[in-house]
Amino acid sequence: MTPHQESQSPSTAEGMGRFERFLSLWVALAIVAGVLLGQFAPAIPDALSRFEYAQVSIPVAILIWAMIFPMMAQIDFTAVLGVRRQPRGLIITTTVNWLIKPFTMFAIAWFFLTVVFQPLIPADLASQYLAGAILLGAAPCTAMVFVWSYLTRGDAAYTLVQVSLNDLIMLFAFAPIVVFLLDVSNIQVPWNTVALSVVLYIVIPLAAGYLTRRTLISRHGSEWYDNVFMRRIGPITPAGLILTLVLLFAFQGEVILEAPLHIVLIAVPLIIQTFFIFFIAYGWAKAWKVPHNVAAPGAMIGASNFFELAVAAAISLFGLQSGAALATVVGVLVEVPLMLALVRIANKTRHHFPDASTEPR
Amino acid sequence: MTIEVTPRAREWLNKKGGVATVRLSPRRGCCGGRADIAVAEARPPDSPERYVRLEFEDMTLYVDPTLVDQGLTLDAEGFLGLKHLFVEGAPLTR
Repeated sequence: MTPHQESQSPSTAEGMGRFERFLSLWVALAIVAGVLLGQFAPAIPDALSRFEYAQVSIPVAILIWAMIFPMMAQIDFTAVLGVRRQPRGLIITTTVNWLIKPFTMFAIAWFFLTVVFQPLIPADLASQYLAGAILLGAAPCTAMVFVWSYLTRGDAAYTLVQVSLNDLIMLFAFAPIVVFLLDVSNIQVPWNTVALSVVLYIVIPLAAGYLTRRTLISRHGSEWYDNVFMRRIGPITPAGLILTLVLLFAFQGEVILEAPLHIVLIAVPLIIQTFFIFFIAYGWAKAWKVPHNVAAPGAMIGASNFFELAVAAAISLFGLQSGAALATVVGVLVEVPLMLALVRIANKTRHHFPDASTEPR
Repeated sequence: MTIEVTPRAREWLNKKGGVATVRLSPRRGCCGGRADIAVAEARPPDSPERYVRLEFEDMTLYVDPTLVDQGLTLDAEGFLGLKHLFVEGAPLTR
């Protein structure tokens, strides 16, 4: 056993700053601020909604790019070259993320939103919420998994590989999965609308992030890029997220005031799905005797969602006032408390897994 | 030895000039938070004075002081003619 493995896992306070630990609180405050803005100063969101080009809201597009670009700019695609290093971990993660997670999210959300909660949610809203859940299910985490991996003492090199591989797959798999599941749910979205949202909120930020990374590293070096540039642009993501939520809830005010219970109802399937997906990947890793430092980050990436992309796609496909956008925001609301619970579970069950230094891969 | 270098990494590094930097690269979460990942690059660091310089027969490594004596291994991997260095054995730090 190495000195690292003998030591305690880092505390939540070590891995996360105040902002991210209390993300649910900031999201709740953004909801309140947005609702108040919509109720008392409706001219502001109305004016912002008029800035459109080709039916794309310019203020929303800017906020969404602000959320997504910094994450894309830190992806190191050369890490994909390590794809053969932890094959069992990557098989589990990739299968769970892309062949299981989107479909269990659909099934669980469909069951709760349209069957169990049928007396509480009107049918048209239920299918909107289902659409939001589908978008969350088709977008596995891309950046926070580094923090979850750190908190569970995950293998750094493996975490890098799984994130870059996941992002490459997302580029091609997100749109077909979303279109297929929306179609199964009888929610009609034209292919060209989905393609536009993928181009706007995945392809463009990813290409911009890649080009920015390459250009700036070749000019200023990778240390400057990591320690100066990324540190400067890093806070743009959470700022963009909070501002997007304020704007979104300026339009959603009526829904929230009329049916606040809906937020709780939407949260139920999302919470069940998060635990379910975590335990599928984690249990599979245990059955395959995958070391804990690979099993934990491998299970975390699927449990956690790339909610910025889900929010962006929901707004792009269904609009700021849609139930789908509201459902994706509930995903943001529950994300951090749920993932911290999974971090605790992973750390408490470490002894059930083989040690990285003794097990073959 | 404070850091192990595999023959594969050694051979590749020699072709690339025989100098490598092993450092911590911060990764930021989408809702904040940060974790540092040990990465390796086949180039000298921007500020060599901040690193521990390790001289080998055929190469020079600049290693972040916090990564020295951590039992790390520097290796090379890739396919289709593409290769890169990576650091094995390092957990994420902060």
